[in-house]
Amino acid sequence: MFNSLRMSMGWVHTWMGLVLGFVLMICFFFGALSVFDREIDRWAIPDTRFEPQPMPSFDNVLKPIYQQLQPDPVDMAATERRVVGTLPDPETLKLESLFAYTTHRDPVLLIGGEFAIPNQPIDPADDHQHVHGRATVNPATGEMLNDDALKIGSDWFYPMHFSLNLNWMMLGYWIVGLAALVMLAGLVSGIIIHRKIFREFFTFRPWKNLFRSSLDLHNMTGVVALPFHFFFAFTALVIFASNIYLPVTHTTLKPLHEHHEMLEAERKGLPHEPAGIPAPLASVDAMVAEAKRRWAERNMAGEVGFLSMNHLGDENGYVSIYRAGSDRVALVGEGIHFKASTGEVIREEPPRSVVSSIDEFLTGLHLQHFEHWMLRWLYVFGGLLGAICIATGFILFVEKRKAKHARNGSQGSRIVDALAVTTVTGMVLAAVGMLVANRLLPADLAGKGQWEQTIFWSVWGLAFLHAAWRSSPVAKARYNPAWREQSLLLGLMSLCAVGLNWVTTGDHLIKTVFTDTYWAVAGVDLSLIVTALIAFYAAAKLRAPVTEQKIDDALSRNKQVNAYD
Amino acid sequence: MISQDALQTINRIIAAVFGGYAFTWGFSVLAIATLVALGIDFHEAETAISLVAFLVFLGLFLWTFAAASMIRVWLVLAGGAGVMMLIGLMLQTSLLS
Repeated sequence: MFNSLRMSMGWVHTWMGLVLGFVLMICFFFGALSVFDREIDRWAIPDTRFEPQPMPSFDNVLKPIYQQLQPDPVDMAATERRVVGTLPDPETLKLESLFAYTTHRDPVLLIGGEFAIPNQPIDPADDHQHVHGRATVNPATGEMLNDDALKIGSDWFYPMHFSLNLNWMMLGYWIVGLAALVMLAGLVSGIIIHRKIFREFFTFRPWKNLFRSSLDLHNMTGVVALPFHFFFAFTALVIFASNIYLPVTHTTLKPLHEHHEMLEAERKGLPHEPAGIPAPLASVDAMVAEAKRRWAERNMAGEVGFLSMNHLGDENGYVSIYRAGSDRVALVGEGIHFKASTGEVIREEPPRSVVSSIDEFLTGLHLQHFEHWMLRWLYVFGGLLGAICIATGFILFVEKRKAKHARNGSQGSRIVDALAVTTVTGMVLAAVGMLVANRLLPADLAGKGQWEQTIFWSVWGLAFLHAAWRSSPVAKARYNPAWREQSLLLGLMSLCAVGLNWVTTGDHLIKTVFTDTYWAVAGVDLSLIVTALIAFYAAAKLRAPVTEQKIDDALSRNKQVNAYD
Repeated sequence: MISQDALQTINRIIAAVFGGYAFTWGFSVLAIATLVALGIDFHEAETAISLVAFLVFLGLFLWTFAAASMIRVWLVLAGGAGVMMLIGLMLQTSLLS
């Protein structure tokens, strides 16, 4: 089928890259937005526009809040299908474990827990015998945030980049996983087909024709950010390896795993099962103070990032306190475990081994919990470079073929071009459209978050229909006017979002930058303005008429098309 | 009628994605079981192999497209997956007994 290594790698690069490139666009763009997911949350939920704060006192603030925590209705329904008989009234279910989580960028706190259920599972091997509950708390007032207020950054854009928000059968995760593998394959095959890699590093000829300059940009962004792109695609697979992509230790090697867990629980002294004897809860604040003292002793004083309790109200109950990793690449860690009824230390986790240090460093570098604003911005630019690399790949694909397709009446490049419009300008339109909707819909609208999601998908769907409707010039080797039209609309909508934020909350840029500085909101507004400027610039550039000369160029260039087409 | 070329391509894609995955699965089972048998902590072994597994998958994925003989590709991928899975399972049984 292929006559040479270069040809076969060219095929993988072109076709696999094209098909999964549409997915990779989503991963890179929404991944870049995820770097500032908490800040986007603040923009979208004006009630939470205050300064981040450390984990509040458990005894005084959090304890009473957990008493209001309710099982999640969606998880109730899902659990109902897995067990024999009907579940009891959610009000009567008892919390058996709980957690609280915060980062250095969070004014609000995520809490949750597991509620025990008396029902037997339908599948005897199913050991997932509880219903989850989750809530977001304002630690300043102790109030729970309205469930209808969707955290657009951390609960929509962030999961978008690894699950496409398609949760049916984990379909989105698997598509993204395959796309990550293809990204790795695309990078390696890209190196093989482009031998003059060092020269391409310094080559950018924007004044040349569209094909040349997008090839340069494709190569430059691909090569400059190669380690960055390889790293993100690779760690994406590693992060989900044991739970989703390669769960050998939960399936084939489950017996060995369980045997080990039993030994480990004995060694660690953290009870796997409740004792069945009720016991009170000692002061958790005292445990937190002790944990902080021990961290300081190890010369790594810090704040609590994650706190959890198991076997609540039982003699075997224990409290685990983990340090927030805002000053290092690795994630939360240095866990210290206390006996819940007495507050004595059961176990202090030893320093990491070499293998887990490497693993935590790599995954930590992907998940970036650290506090370093310049590095965060570099992540955003790296992600956008990835998006540019992929988008220019689409343009190359179309520019290389459209003249030939125009001659023999093929619709191939027309379809690819319409999909490229949908995943480049259409995707950004969907994201900005969601922000506009967020400011237009009243805060107390029932199901507001649902509406925002519907609008997100609708805008994206309409962008696709528009791109398809306007695509016929591509079949004649011309440009699709949808590129320009959607760029114009994007510019207008981005400015609209900034204006609406001002009108609905009173937070305009002079206030958020100068008089009452609040960078989370200012940053989103400024990014929207930059988006608008780029979109208007692109629209202006695209208005330049396509001359017959250029079309002739495109036709003659057709001769250079590589053999692997 | 699907052309011979298209069938060949489909065969390669299936081998690269599913065959490669099966081989990686078998490799991970055998590698983790072997490391545990050598006295390495279970979670250490699991983590170490998760760092290697996708590089193995990537190599297989690209090799499937570059290889001259698809029969050899399938023999290595399916055969390797089966053999490693079998030895891995046997190792697990002996570790637990």
